[in-house]
Amino acid sequence: MLEILEDNWLLFLIGQYPHGPVGGLAMTLFLAVAGLSLSFPVAIALALARLSPRRWLRGPATAVVYVVRGLPLIMFIFWTYFALPLLTGHAVGGVETLLFALVIYEASYLSEIIRAGIEGLPKGQAEAAKALGLGYFPTTFKVILPQVLHNMMPSLVSQFVSTIKETSLGYVISANEVTFAASQVNNQLMTQPFEVYGLLALTYFTLCFTLTSAARWLERRLAAERGGLGAQPA
Amino acid sequence: MIRFEAVEKWFGQHQVLAGVTGEVKRGEVVTLLGSSGSGKSTLIRTVTRLEGIQGGQVLFEGVDVAGRGVDINRLRQRVGFVFQAFNLFPHLSALGNITLGLERLRKMRKAAARERAMTELDRVGLADKADALPSRLSGGQRQRVAIARALAMDPDVMLFDEPTSALDPEMVNEVLRVMRTLAQNGMTMVVVTHEIGFAREVADTVWFLDKGQIVESGPPAEVLDDPRHDRLRSFLSRAR
Ligand SMILES: Nc1ncnc2c1ncn2[C@@H]1O[C@H](COP(=O)(O)OP(=O)(O)OP(=O)(O)O)[C@@H](O)[C@H]1O
Ligand SMILES: [Mg+2]
Repeated sequence: MLEILEDNWLLFLIGQYPHGPVGGLAMTLFLAVAGLSLSFPVAIALALARLSPRRWLRGPATAVVYVVRGLPLIMFIFWTYFALPLLTGHAVGGVETLLFALVIYEASYLSEIIRAGIEGLPKGQAEAAKALGLGYFPTTFKVILPQVLHNMMPSLVSQFVSTIKETSLGYVISANEVTFAASQVNNQLMTQPFEVYGLLALTYFTLCFTLTSAARWLERRLAAERGGLGAQPA
Repeated sequence: MIRFEAVEKWFGQHQVLAGVTGEVKRGEVVTLLGSSGSGKSTLIRTVTRLEGIQGGQVLFEGVDVAGRGVDINRLRQRVGFVFQAFNLFPHLSALGNITLGLERLRKMRKAAARERAMTELDRVGLADKADALPSRLSGGQRQRVAIARALAMDPDVMLFDEPTSALDPEMVNEVLRVMRTLAQNGMTMVVVTHEIGFAREVADTVWFLDKGQIVESGPPAEVLDDPRHDRLRSFLSRAR
């Protein structure tokens, strides 16, 4: 196992770079970070639309969220894979395809977290903003969302962990991430699949476990903040 | 300044305001008494349409607050509201709670807003807590910041919904002191409170709300010392 690592660690970490495209773990992390960051504004828009009193905003947003949440990610990846070239008129690489699918998928999940966060805030917050004379946008973006995002830090880290794992599906459309790198190594060696995929598992586990622990720590800190001095009567 | 005319409010089948009529004049301090559930909060919340009404009218300076062409956010800037639960924005410092409205609504620059907010904090005796988050303040201090936040908008009238009910007894006075000063400086105020002492000392007029109607109204000496209704009499004996 150590030998495999010695010979291939660079491939695992950064793919063929600098002789080819960036790949491996670097690409996995890039995809997860970019996927989540890009999905964020979309998620906020979806959440706000879902809470809107206007039917023509609420209806479509709700439909999108329900449809996406009712389908496996791999389906989106296939759809995007076949649909994007048709829509844009030229070939789209695996990484771009995966990123696009991830953004839509993550946005739906994040939007539900954000919506729950908004609904979970004490009613007095929106009311105090209203009473001051603040309109919808300053109330939403200066009063409500900053609190919601702060409270949802742990969920956000958890979502990041899921996203990291989901990027592995990029393998099926040859997006150059760490699972793809591992399969390349495996194809070269041919005889040591357990060792190769053991290494891959260890990589994912270390990363995700660290992040999950961080999420738990954040959660405890927030709980202390709320339960202790932070508590304000609702 | 504020006129309630036969105001009716229903929550579903339940009538909370059953024809409230009354007037708050400029510079007047009205305290609103009534047992729990009598509709006190609901009544003052109708002034800036935090609650809508189903019958009658609420007039602010002669204008129906529900009328077409009323810019409700502008109206709300002219009417300060102080909540029982303070409702400070927990992610903003004491100062930030106050500058938010100044910057967003008064379009003040950061420095000017800061200066104005400091003046208001100083007025409630909390200039040294400007940078503290609400979670670092005591209940009494939080409520004083909430009052400063409302005052910073230069309101024509201040509405208080049981501002001291959520406070430990030793913090009640620091808040009442601020309110008393405000009243002495001529602010028009409507105060929902159970502090009979405060009503007696500060109010020009006391309203007693019962079953959605103002059943007694007059100067504190009259209403508090010589109540005509049994309900008020028993309310007062419980409040003491
Ligand atoms: N949003 C609401 N939906 C349904 N009923 C409500 C709502 N708000 C208030 N009520 C009801 O209206 C009545 C009057 O409420 P209100 O809060 O005005 O009373 P109050 O006099 O302020 O009482 P308290 O002293 O307890 O604050 C109560 O019976 C209450 O249950
Ligand atoms: Mg009340």
